[in-house]
Amino acid sequence: MLAGATAHAAELKAVDAPPPSALELSDISGRVHRLSDYRGRVVLVNFWATWCEPCREEMPSLDRLQKQLGTRSFVVLAVNVDEPEARIAKFLSAMPLDFPVLLDAGSKLTRAWKVRVLPASFVISPDGRARYTVTGELDWSAPAVVERIAKLLPGQ
Amino acid sequence: MDRRTFLKSGAALPAVAATTGLPGFAFGTTAETWRIFEVTTSVEVLKPAGGTHVWLPVPLTSDTDYQKSLGNAWTAEGGTVRYTQNPKYRAGIVAAEFPQSVQKPTLRLVSRFATRDRAVDLSVKGTGAKEDPAVLRLNLAATDLLPTDGVVRRTAQEITKGKKNDLDKARAIYEWVVDNTFRDPQTRGCGVGDIKSMLEAKNLGGKCADLNALFVGLARSIGIPARDVYGVRVAASKHGYKSLGANSENITKAQHCRAEFYAQGYGWIPVDPADVRKVVLEEPPGNLAVTDDKVQRMRRMLFGAWEMNWLAYNYAHDVELPGARGPKVGFFMYPNGETGAGRLDSLDPDGFKYTITSRELKSV
Repeated sequence: MLAGATAHAAELKAVDAPPPSALELSDISGRVHRLSDYRGRVVLVNFWATWCEPCREEMPSLDRLQKQLGTRSFVVLAVNVDEPEARIAKFLSAMPLDFPVLLDAGSKLTRAWKVRVLPASFVISPDGRARYTVTGELDWSAPAVVERIAKLLPGQ
Repeated sequence: MDRRTFLKSGAALPAVAATTGLPGFAFGTTAETWRIFEVTTSVEVLKPAGGTHVWLPVPLTSDTDYQKSLGNAWTAEGGTVRYTQNPKYRAGIVAAEFPQSVQKPTLRLVSRFATRDRAVDLSVKGTGAKEDPAVLRLNLAATDLLPTDGVVRRTAQEITKGKKNDLDKARAIYEWVVDNTFRDPQTRGCGVGDIKSMLEAKNLGGKCADLNALFVGLARSIGIPARDVYGVRVAASKHGYKSLGANSENITKAQHCRAEFYAQGYGWIPVDPADVRKVVLEEPPGNLAVTDDKVQRMRRMLFGAWEMNWLAYNYAHDVELPGARGPKVGFFMYPNGETGAGRLDSLDPDGFKYTITSRELKSV
């Protein structure tokens, strides 16, 4: 058996580091998003793919979190890992989401951020630093999770 | 479709019996061991915007002792079709082009072929066919999909420590890949899919096809020629495994990639660790234990043998699609298409739109 397989449930792992690289990707309508555009807000960068079952299971809870915290001080950026636009569009028509879906064609950002397992999430605080990482799926609308993220919001 | 219309493609064709019954093949095999199939791919591009291109794979363009091509025939309404072979891997490509004016671009490809179950007697060395050194070199090289350095080579060296010959090393890699597919239920998430990520994350739980790529990458990294063989399941399994066959005529989503490696004295040896994993996950009642008889049986069989209820298309990587505006494809196992609005999604047969059906023939 492989040594080192994670033996505990996915959870918010506290970190304090700059993001691994700059983020600049287009969304499905062609608009460019940069992480720096969102300075002053908490940003949840979530790497996902339509073929990844845990990603699909987690999506509704990300949508609930976005709705709960509103867009003034919080945004989810859902980075799709190298899938054709037609497929993403079809997925979104069945599951509309209230946050930008960004296209990482060729998996460049995925590799730069050393993402090896999907879903993978990074919670960035208003000052632009990564404060939490998560490997695997999480219920983002669970009270304990919402509470920790809410503590990062500006004005807290 | 009459036989003459049928024998269109450039592949060398065996002599065909003039009357009913199975054709007489030249290589001293008994006719009864061969099965003959006809696979039909029908494509109808739903939203042609600007000109349309469609590309389809065909059976292996070189015959083997387990598969022989009996010809391909196609019709395209309103379009022109060209048949070419990819230079590096000799993958056959049926390429159709439709002008903007065609409202419903449709393409129909019928491929006939014969297959025979494949098994290498691993107890007898010295009987395998020798391979062209240029082919062996090709199948040792790293590709975008198959890096062979860093963690890949380190892992392969660890797995094969103490093994003396290529056959034993390949078997060690096979067993390791199979052993490590048993998903730790506490491992979260899906592997991203490239073999380096899979190894670094110690997570082999991504898409099934990656396991055979992992086998190939690990083997190549320590000097054992190996390759993926891309194809599609065409019939149910005679061994009684629901998860290892196409259980209806509709094989639109039955694509499956296998693997083989080369050992001196044995020639190419077929393997399929991904299908061992498939048995574990999907063979009723599902989620079987490693010790389950059904798993053990397939585990033993799938090192050295392939049941040929499956059609091999090609070995190709990084395929340039003739006339395409979009990028090369990493592998060529599905229908591919492109309109003015961009590349169509091969994994969405309903959106694209295509169907693939298979039937077994009693005679050609």
